[in-house]
Amino acid sequence: MSDILKREVVYAITGIITVLMLLEYFFFDTSQAWAEALRTWAVIIYNISLFLGAIRLSIAHSVRIQEKRRDWQYSGILMAIFVIQLLTGLAAYITTGVATNNGIYNWLFNYVYTPLGATLYPITGFYIFSAAYRAFRARNIDAALMLIAGCLVMLKNAPVGEAIWIGFATLGNWVQFTAQVPGMRTLAIVGALGLIAFGFRALLGKERGFYAGGGE
Amino acid sequence: MSLGKLADIDRRVFYWILFVALMVPFLSPIGFPITIAPNTQDLYDGITGDEVNEGDVWIVNFGYGVSAWSECHPAVTVCTKALFREGAKIIFTGIHVDLELTYNKLRDTCSEDFADKVYGEDYVFLGYMTGGESVVAQLASNIKSVYPADHFGTPYDDIPMLEGVVDHSDIAGVLSSDTGDYGGHFMTQWQGAYGSKVAEIGIAMNGSTDLPRWQAGNFFGVSVGSRGGAELELLIGELGEATTAMDSISVSHLLLILAIIIGNIGVLTEKLGGKK
Amino acid sequence: MAIIVAGRLMTFIYMIVFFVLMYYYMSINKEEQYTIRSMPAMQAIPEAVGRAAEMGRPVFWTPGISGSLDNSSQGPQVLAAISILEFVTEECVKAGVHIHAICPLPDALPLVEETMRTAYLREGKPEEFSPEQITFISQQSAYLSGTLGYFQRERPASNILVGGFYYESVVIGEAGNHIGAMQIGGTNNTHQMPFMVATCDYMMLAEELFAAGAAITMNRDMLGSIKGEDIMKLLLVALTAVGFILGAINVTIIADLLGM
Repeated sequence: MSDILKREVVYAITGIITVLMLLEYFFFDTSQAWAEALRTWAVIIYNISLFLGAIRLSIAHSVRIQEKRRDWQYSGILMAIFVIQLLTGLAAYITTGVATNNGIYNWLFNYVYTPLGATLYPITGFYIFSAAYRAFRARNIDAALMLIAGCLVMLKNAPVGEAIWIGFATLGNWVQFTAQVPGMRTLAIVGALGLIAFGFRALLGKERGFYAGGGE
Repeated sequence: MSLGKLADIDRRVFYWILFVALMVPFLSPIGFPITIAPNTQDLYDGITGDEVNEGDVWIVNFGYGVSAWSECHPAVTVCTKALFREGAKIIFTGIHVDLELTYNKLRDTCSEDFADKVYGEDYVFLGYMTGGESVVAQLASNIKSVYPADHFGTPYDDIPMLEGVVDHSDIAGVLSSDTGDYGGHFMTQWQGAYGSKVAEIGIAMNGSTDLPRWQAGNFFGVSVGSRGGAELELLIGELGEATTAMDSISVSHLLLILAIIIGNIGVLTEKLGGKK
Repeated sequence: MAIIVAGRLMTFIYMIVFFVLMYYYMSINKEEQYTIRSMPAMQAIPEAVGRAAEMGRPVFWTPGISGSLDNSSQGPQVLAAISILEFVTEECVKAGVHIHAICPLPDALPLVEETMRTAYLREGKPEEFSPEQITFISQQSAYLSGTLGYFQRERPASNILVGGFYYESVVIGEAGNHIGAMQIGGTNNTHQMPFMVATCDYMMLAEELFAAGAAITMNRDMLGSIKGEDIMKLLLVALTAVGFILGAINVTIIADLLGM
């Protein structure tokens, strides 16, 4: 039974829903109630998976705390904040209908979580810097061309480039709109074709990843 | 130190130089002039003048969090101001968990424009939606099914400006600002499916993906990163955060080119040393 | 009264032609033998696992924060990454190397766990699999810092970064370079390709990620679908060329046809 559930039922559900969504897109010019229901169910399933992830997280960290593994204290902090946010958000939702109507919830979110999250994004700039220093080496003709094109686009994007020489804007625009954008468009088109082919193979049960290793 | 060692400078040296150098323009602004890119001009033209009628309902989607405020928020500020000044009504939606912070920041940065607007009649904050592309598709076919109430709990039917606003056909245009793929979702599920007007306000990293879509006509305009925000500020005639950031971008780009040159001097020296 | 919605007729025809082509080469044309060019990135996976075995360090896999499986552009990338995960896990089990996965996607988590468990079972070592080999960290910033922390603590010898990435690609890739890991990347997100090319030793661009499964297994049906895909590409190139030539002489028949 488990093999049938893994494969045949998955094939059937996937195939039926795909055909229905394609039918709605091509044969109906207004949204259909049955298609709306399917889309709503997709949203519901995604949100159930969030719940699943939260349960898994709780179990994993609870075990770490129980067994006092390495750095179990961090798991303790995570679980404490998880429980506080969950309880305060639920309490606010039950009493006022809006989950963010709670001082503790908002304080932890606005003054702990959000600044921590905002801190990680700027690290990208520094890492791009070191990646470019390491990668942009003119070891051969191809690398040299990539290097020159990259520098031209950078000088075009930075106002200082135009201040140094107005030609950088012209050259940079040429590199970007005549060379780079068509190249990216090509990758986007072939990627889309590959994506459709992948979906077709998944529908026919030929892709293993789609069936968690249970495909043909 | 031999020139060959220039190819192996510890990255932390660059991090410190960059960190210090980026502070200088904030303390002593330089103010290099900027030119307007055609994609930004198209975006501005698409939200001003004859393209927007009084009473048109637009959607502004906050697909960016606090971490991307510097790249996306200036452009969203300008677009919001422009739409309000044309008499359009705006529905604010979002997909980031810190959406309320972004909405509050927008109310700060556009405080003068919000001052003479009435909540529920000129603008509404519907709030957070989740569900990826499915929810964007659902939004196109039935907005109320995604948002039975606004962020503050007011039922959809009790909001005056949403009377008669059912689906994509009642929306004049969508401005999607995001760090990920929601612009692509609006392109697929709104522009591709129904021909809706969609524009993208994205981070600089997404420029290579967004510009082909603008060239192909899927987006009527694209703002790319802080530079796009600065160009929009110039177009509307109100310089702000993005313009201030342009000097730092100039410094960082110049430093990067210098680092690349130094690295290549090292490589060239090693090659020549090897040949000898 | 049109049967197909206005403006979608040509899309419908493309889809049918594409499906027919793929189905023909997969299931009907049984005589021809298909080949596929080698993919250096996939051929490097056993080398990456071997490197980890020699150094006594783990192999790391992550699919990026891309969103969710119901995302039309990101979901298939995650599924393709899970196909690659199965292959990588099998190689790791054979070599006796520990593999760790950090998955930020709650809806992909059961698939990742089941794929790894099945791979261990297939190699005859189900007892060696532990669910703790998979870490779930959901939000982008938390996922990033968790991954960077893992790199600093465990210092994996090889990183497999395949799937739908956003800005975390450059941070994870560069962090991997800092610890000296061998990195194999793959994504269909055009905005991240340059960064992954700069930070990874081997790279799968665009459709190579989706063809990876075929390159590993050399399954005839999968190769047939890629053949159909290639024929479709040739048709589109021909159409583009004809349209370009006609457009240059102000004949817009192709453009008008494509807009039907």
